[in-house]
Amino acid sequence: MGKIKVRVKINGKERSDEVEPRMLLAHYLRDVVGATGTHIGCDTSNCGACTVVMDGKAVKSCTVLVGQANGREIKTVEGLSQNGKLSKIQKAFLDKHGLQCGYCTSGMLMASYWLLKKNKKPNEEEIRRNLSGNLCRCTGYQNIVEAVKYASELIEKEGEEEEVVVESQ
Amino acid sequence: MITGQKFVEGKGTYVDDINLPGMLYMAIVRSPYSRAKIASLKGGLNSSDYEGRMASVGEGGSGEINIYSEPVFAQGYTSYLGQPVAAVFGEDRYKAEDLLNSVDVEYEPLKPVMEIDAALKADPIHPGTKNNILIDKWVGKEFKDTSSPIVLEDSFYNRRVATNPMEPRGVVATYDGNRLTMWASSQSSQSIKEGLVEAMNLSPDSVRVIQADTGGGFGLKGGLHPEYVIAAHAAMKYKRPVKWIETRSEHLSSSNPGRGARADIKIFAGKNGIINGVTGEVYVDAGAYGGFGEFAPGFIAYQLTGPYAIPNGYVRAIATLTNKVPQGPYRGAGRPEASYFIERMVDLLADELKMDPADVRIANMSSEPFKSPLGLEIGAAKPFFQDALKEFEYGKRFTSDTAGLGFFVLVPGIGPGEGARIKIEKGRVKVWLGGDTAGQGHQEFVRTLIREELGIASDLVELQLGDTDAVKRGVGAWGSRSAITAGAAVIAASGKIKDMVIKDFGDYSPENALSGSYDIDHFEEMKGTLNSFGANIAVADVSPLGAIRVKDCWSYYDVGRVLSKESVWGQIMGGIVQGIGQVVSEEIAYSDEGELLTGSIADSGVLSADQVPNFVVKVAENRSDLPHGVKGLGEAPTIGVPSALVRSIEKVTGKRIRDTPVRPEDIAEDL
Repeated sequence: MGKIKVRVKINGKERSDEVEPRMLLAHYLRDVVGATGTHIGCDTSNCGACTVVMDGKAVKSCTVLVGQANGREIKTVEGLSQNGKLSKIQKAFLDKHGLQCGYCTSGMLMASYWLLKKNKKPNEEEIRRNLSGNLCRCTGYQNIVEAVKYASELIEKEGEEEEVVVESQ
Repeated sequence: MITGQKFVEGKGTYVDDINLPGMLYMAIVRSPYSRAKIASLKGGLNSSDYEGRMASVGEGGSGEINIYSEPVFAQGYTSYLGQPVAAVFGEDRYKAEDLLNSVDVEYEPLKPVMEIDAALKADPIHPGTKNNILIDKWVGKEFKDTSSPIVLEDSFYNRRVATNPMEPRGVVATYDGNRLTMWASSQSSQSIKEGLVEAMNLSPDSVRVIQADTGGGFGLKGGLHPEYVIAAHAAMKYKRPVKWIETRSEHLSSSNPGRGARADIKIFAGKNGIINGVTGEVYVDAGAYGGFGEFAPGFIAYQLTGPYAIPNGYVRAIATLTNKVPQGPYRGAGRPEASYFIERMVDLLADELKMDPADVRIANMSSEPFKSPLGLEIGAAKPFFQDALKEFEYGKRFTSDTAGLGFFVLVPGIGPGEGARIKIEKGRVKVWLGGDTAGQGHQEFVRTLIREELGIASDLVELQLGDTDAVKRGVGAWGSRSAITAGAAVIAASGKIKDMVIKDFGDYSPENALSGSYDIDHFEEMKGTLNSFGANIAVADVSPLGAIRVKDCWSYYDVGRVLSKESVWGQIMGGIVQGIGQVVSEEIAYSDEGELLTGSIADSGVLSADQVPNFVVKVAENRSDLPHGVKGLGEAPTIGVPSALVRSIEKVTGKRIRDTPVRPEDIAEDL
């Protein structure tokens, strides 16, 4: 199979790779980039474990071909903490016990991160609706919702993290 | 490191994150038919290369290989949709998928046997066997009741549901010429090893199973699966590491689902609501092969009197073979089924006598410990239940007009105990358990117990992932048993370390312990029962078209002493959503012709955040007699919630509910 060249900025760092055009962004991140924090939990774009933020918008990376990510900017769970310091949404998930097995967590974090970017103070219903594309089998969601609320409070109190810009290679 | 920190950073190491040099990816050619003759088969690794059968290990496993054991590859015919027929191996996951087309299979489809009743009448699905009955036994003692004025009969069905951990199954196998090493997403590395040893006829010393971070299990990941044997065999044959990662589609067709149990029940009662006896038949749809299905019907029958002091009981327990993927344990694993069956009958009796369901329940409770005619030992149910009604503000906040009650006894899997190893070295403590945590938070109770027993601060204590080379003997994390059994093993091992420190230093102090090197691997033998009570109350809202929403769901469980509040509450809230799911949406469904109708995780009914409310969780901390005071917990919500919710749906719609999931057509208003 012929290959295509893609240039993608991942967590602030630009890279280019030659890949099969059929490759999914999720597999590209995991198998080519080695960013295994992005998980795959289904093959029908229902579970949201693979959620990443592409050009500022949450997408399910199992439904994006890597070619569609060409020239775009991707943020994955590995890009949430900065200089070794957990971001507020990560801290909130830990403090509120918003995870158990951890498998859905990357996708939940990225979907929540995106929600808080567009809505700084979501109410309970907005949080639940915005996370409806991310399935969790462990927590019963209650603590995840609490975590998003708490992160929203932290952001209100302390402000958002500065996005660290990493220069291109 | 705080538990969970690596996961919020995306730094977990799940099995699909493990990559070894030269690794092959495995993909499986699966039967597209529920039942077919394999007329011809060319290509891939298949039964002509490997003829072995599966060993029944893990929860409810007999440890044996018998005539009903599943062949690792289908041999001459297929018996369920999704059954492994051949395996192919590629340099990456895409190439492995491509290679599926290189296998040429010619099937001659046969009429499948899809349901329990059909299985009882049909010719055997396996040539050389007499019928489709896997198990048929009686539990309890025959009795005659000609005096009870009320005799009620009904039938109930808990249809099959997928276990659906968010991380599907997966393994990486490698062989160095002497030893097979397998990394697995696991609830029991020990059982997987035992299974590989039995099924592949290997020496125990030549197999090591290591747990990877495990993204949920819920019963599925406690035993051996055909794909594990195939990956192990291929790693040995090709002398290259082999990775197999299940897709969700494969999970829905080929991972052992739970439930799939039906009961025809008769109760004999007085006009005062007192039940004098219970009889009936419990049927388990075991699927195409033995395994957990051999254990399940007897286990359900044994619990059929629930938390009630019913003096007579005689129950037939049957498992039938059908052309479906073999049934397996799913959170509760027989406990929710038994509870559902008896709770439905108790509600029916309440309706018959026009009594409040709480009063009928109380009428059948003992204030003393009770041993049922089916063998189930329970404590005094009445005081606990009366407390539960108070906690629920029953009669005020909730009334029997709309709210449903579920009351149950949780039977944790105690025997034969569990293993634990504690190693102190360079000022830090490493702990291994015989059962593998799959997200329940074992690290938390381990840290609590080490802090209490050895006085060592939690940040110095790290729970390690399961590893059969690290712990000599272990069982597994299922059956609400880990805090009980692994906790007891940690305490016993801590005691031995204390003795050693005293021998070395003259007295014990955490500083002394941390300044030395100690390594204790202990198996704590345990037997008997440690049954505990729990109750739920739920209120449903049902739309005219039959869509169900849960308005309220409260829990009150006797969990014994709480070792970690976060873990206990987390277990309960997560389990509640699974209990609700079983009632409102979760199902693995087939057509009569054997087509799988459940095509996605959404179809299988896993609930999302916008479909459930917040829950109210209350616990009774009645200490057990164990040194750490704990009781079982993990399965409580999947036992208690379905009965409570179904009763509420029944009250709200006025329609008798017998089966789960409740389908919209069962309850929609007649339009």
